[in-house]
Amino acid sequence: MSALYDFIRNHLQALAASGLLPQPFEYEFVINALLCAVLIGPLLGVLGSMVMIKRMAFFSQSVGNAAMTGVAIGVLIGESYTSPYFSMFGFCLLFALTLKYTQHRTTLANDTLIGVFLSISLAVGASLLLFVSAKINTHVMESVLFGSILAVDHTDMNVLLGVTALCALLGLPLYNGMLLASLNPSLAHARGVRVRSVEYLFVVLVTLVTVACLKIIGAVLVEALLLIPAAAARNISRSLPGLVARAILIATFSCVVGILAPMQFHIPVPTGGAIVIVAALVFVATTVMRATASRFRGASV
Amino acid sequence: MRGPAIVFDEVSLQLGGTKVLDDVSFRVEAGALHCLVGPNGGGKTSLVRALLGQMPHSGTVRVEGEVTTPRGYVPQLPDFDRNVPMTVNDLMALLGQRRPAFLGSNRAAKAANAEALARTGVAGLGAKPFGSLSGGQRQRVLLAQAISPAPWLLILDEPTAGIDEPGVRLVEALVAELHGRGVTILWINHDLEQVRRIAQSVTVINRRVLFHGAPDQVAYSLEGAQ
Repeated sequence: MSALYDFIRNHLQALAASGLLPQPFEYEFVINALLCAVLIGPLLGVLGSMVMIKRMAFFSQSVGNAAMTGVAIGVLIGESYTSPYFSMFGFCLLFALTLKYTQHRTTLANDTLIGVFLSISLAVGASLLLFVSAKINTHVMESVLFGSILAVDHTDMNVLLGVTALCALLGLPLYNGMLLASLNPSLAHARGVRVRSVEYLFVVLVTLVTVACLKIIGAVLVEALLLIPAAAARNISRSLPGLVARAILIATFSCVVGILAPMQFHIPVPTGGAIVIVAALVFVATTVMRATASRFRGASV
Repeated sequence: MRGPAIVFDEVSLQLGGTKVLDDVSFRVEAGALHCLVGPNGGGKTSLVRALLGQMPHSGTVRVEGEVTTPRGYVPQLPDFDRNVPMTVNDLMALLGQRRPAFLGSNRAAKAANAEALARTGVAGLGAKPFGSLSGGQRQRVLLAQAISPAPWLLILDEPTAGIDEPGVRLVEALVAELHGRGVTILWINHDLEQVRRIAQSVTVINRRVLFHGAPDQVAYSLEGAQ
């Protein structure tokens, strides 16, 4: 894949050098981040709209935060502290699947259960970080928490590409079943959907995407980008195709502008923060549109 | 061709420590229009959910001779989240096709869905948000999805609740037409007059089977069972 990345980068850098593209395109790390952004946007747009419909925002937040514990475990067992993917994927999947398994076997409300799991995960993570703090500097943890385009390398791009392909391969054919299972499990059963299985699959997909996006957006803010574009799209959408298309557009726009704007205007903010601020501005705009324009008042219910 | 027979054999089910069904056994004949009657909390919906494979239970639920078409099912209305931005067409696409619903439907699927909506008297509502419909309209849409594609087993959980009188007649006529084609229909129903008018066979349950037989022999009233 490196040859493909180099091919795209060389062309964009040539265009930037000839003045056809803005100056930030001259930097390799900006182009890496933008390539990630065009994958992340559609991924988060499709998945985020379903997270919103399934009311799983708090769940995805907890998975993002669990990644911090995954980083600490990775450093502890000797993984590269810049890309501890084995530990992040491993711990986050374990966290998410255990949480889902427990949800099916308790009468506790979902938010209560997620709160309990999140607290446990953070407590373990904080304790482990004490042990590993000598091995890593604060900038590494900062990039995990809030994202950093400087840290994105070919490994991260390959991981993101792999996760995108996996989501398309598994998620698209089962999209209707996953959505139906949360809207009305009885109807889903009648249509032959294996409700339990697709619920677990969705949890796995959310976890994979969350971890794959960490380098760009950060553990604290990845859930925001999963949710805000979908929420903004919902303000101005009446139908499912409209919701998903707008969520994809808003997520991609937020990523691209969030990466380029700080570079272009020399604003020293983390990428994750900038991306989420752009998404939040779009959300505010769509909320105003819904409140003031009569054609959007009937959007959703 | 006729729809499948359904056999409930010593089905028992507990919810939160409370016995909802206790040794329920009866048979719905192939191609029958069978009504399930009983008081609120008597276990009718739980029995149907056991049939759909949604409720863990003891005993066996068998569908004998089922063909490959999906089961048509009309759920009780309160089960649906009204706040999802989804049109009637989206819902039909979600239920009736493999292609992700957010990518829209192909021409054939659109035509089939439009025909099903027309048959249940809601032809003009395809582009409306599902959550904005009245209870009766939503019930008709749910009935439309249950008959598209044409099922051989149709399970109805109070499909006429909230529907006006012309709507009830339309649902009855549609069900009679499907029954005439050999579709097996299991209908949860509270209206004893309607049951006597349309059903071929009836089972009354209140945790246990209280009656199973022909509708004109139902010596039963909901008050008595409670």
